[in-house]
Amino acid sequence: MHSLNEEKLKTELLTVNMGPQHPATHGVLRVEIKTDGEIVAQAIPHLGYLHRCMEKHSENLDYRGVIPFCDRMDYLASMSMELGYVLAVEKMLGTEVPRRAQYIRTLVCELQRIASHLMFFGTYAIDLGAFSPFLYAFQDREIILRIFEELSGVRLLYNYIWIGGVWNDINDDQLKRIKEFCITMSESLKKYHSLVGENKIFIERTRSIGVITKDLAFEYGATGPLLRGAGVKWDLRKDRTYSIYNEFDFDIPVGSGEKGTLGDCWDRYYVRMQEMHESIKIIQQCLDGIEEGAIIGKVPKNIKLPKGEIYQRTECPRGELGYHLISDGNKKPYRLKVKSSCFTHVSMLPDIAPGLMIADLVASIGSVDIVLGEVDR
Amino acid sequence: MSNDILNDLAYRKPITLRVYFKNIYDAIRTTLKGMSITIKYVYGVKPVTLEYPEVREELPANSRSRLFNDVENCISCMQCSAACPVDCIYISAVRREKEAPALKTKNGQAIRLDLTQYTIDTALCCYCGLCTTVCPTECLTHTQDYEFSQYTLDNMKYDYLDPQVRTWRNRLIKN
Repeated sequence: MHSLNEEKLKTELLTVNMGPQHPATHGVLRVEIKTDGEIVAQAIPHLGYLHRCMEKHSENLDYRGVIPFCDRMDYLASMSMELGYVLAVEKMLGTEVPRRAQYIRTLVCELQRIASHLMFFGTYAIDLGAFSPFLYAFQDREIILRIFEELSGVRLLYNYIWIGGVWNDINDDQLKRIKEFCITMSESLKKYHSLVGENKIFIERTRSIGVITKDLAFEYGATGPLLRGAGVKWDLRKDRTYSIYNEFDFDIPVGSGEKGTLGDCWDRYYVRMQEMHESIKIIQQCLDGIEEGAIIGKVPKNIKLPKGEIYQRTECPRGELGYHLISDGNKKPYRLKVKSSCFTHVSMLPDIAPGLMIADLVASIGSVDIVLGEVDR
Repeated sequence: MSNDILNDLAYRKPITLRVYFKNIYDAIRTTLKGMSITIKYVYGVKPVTLEYPEVREELPANSRSRLFNDVENCISCMQCSAACPVDCIYISAVRREKEAPALKTKNGQAIRLDLTQYTIDTALCCYCGLCTTVCPTECLTHTQDYEFSQYTLDNMKYDYLDPQVRTWRNRLIKN
């Protein structure tokens, strides 16, 4: 009799597909989850829905032609994507970049970081059921995009940072508007934080959920806000400095486990909010220090890199982005391998997910903040 | 397997009565704080959304929208099609006959080739702007035109030698 009851009570795991068209997966990510009731037993991410062959394409393009393809990887942080590639080519070419161009690059990259984190803030609030923060964040993001539109001509895929410098010069009116934006932004960031981050419901939804410990982060090679959220003080802008980041004074925010466990969703959220404040600091120093001068250095018309290879990594809003560029002395790259942080982060899902509720899994995926364009390339 | 997972949920410890009421108080307090911010937005912030079909946005001067080639100034140098990363520009040209009257572009370059085809597949174009930067006579430009949806993909192929397409010039190119 006893064994019969056990036979009757036996449960099976139910397989559910989350995605590819699930709005909470931020793109076309399919997560195959095995659920036990409402609790996730296993989550397997399936990638490749947005694969565009960027690495193979770039083998058939000249060095300038690769830049538009770099944009399309992480379409929410195109400026940062371009910078890494351009730095790699410049280092191999030995180009001297004018000071003004370097300042403009830093300026746009930090503005892009704010825009990207605002997007995270908005969509993360949507994931957790609050709609209006998304609209407020987009209002501020619009100001940044408008400035980018005037600088480069387009709103998302800029092709603005060129080999040797930048495309267009920034004028005083735009600098003034950025200055005003910095002041309003640091005020509205505090407002946003009290609207979402300090909300009890938000805290209850995110604390001790989706914990990424320091060990787990090191094991997978996680970077960016994930690593800093786990309490590791690591930022390439400071530790392996590039461009002119060594001249600026800023802090690296790290997670402290203030509301729950160290490395939970709330920590990652808070690290990003703090990073926006740091970016504003960098922008203000940039505005003070910007110099007059040329915006593009001497670059040959047909770029031919010497034989060799280079690995250049930069700190993007979502983590560390690395370009491994191999040249065989021709006009085209022999191989361009991109190391994307989002790919690493999405691979961590099977380790984060077990034991979470489905709604908490959505919160975890949102807090990891992946862009599928960068995962699949 | 499923039991292990259920045990993992044990971190949700039982709470005291005091914590229970404090949680309720905190939830109400912070939600009201958020609501007050939202109400400020309702009455204090002007709407920023453009109501598109009625209000049309003027794009910035160097905006990279629809491409336009002023074929009268084109010297068929093919640099744009070489620079294009997606190969969406199709050009063919023939040598200009010696007897034909000499033509010059706006900036004084002699036209030695006659264009027979200049087509851009706008559906393929990625609007990166690399073709316009290499153009020696600056005849290929991005315009501020952004309303050009079509019913079929074929209609997205613009032949700039077509007289109808040529008439855009008056509308698009200032000066």
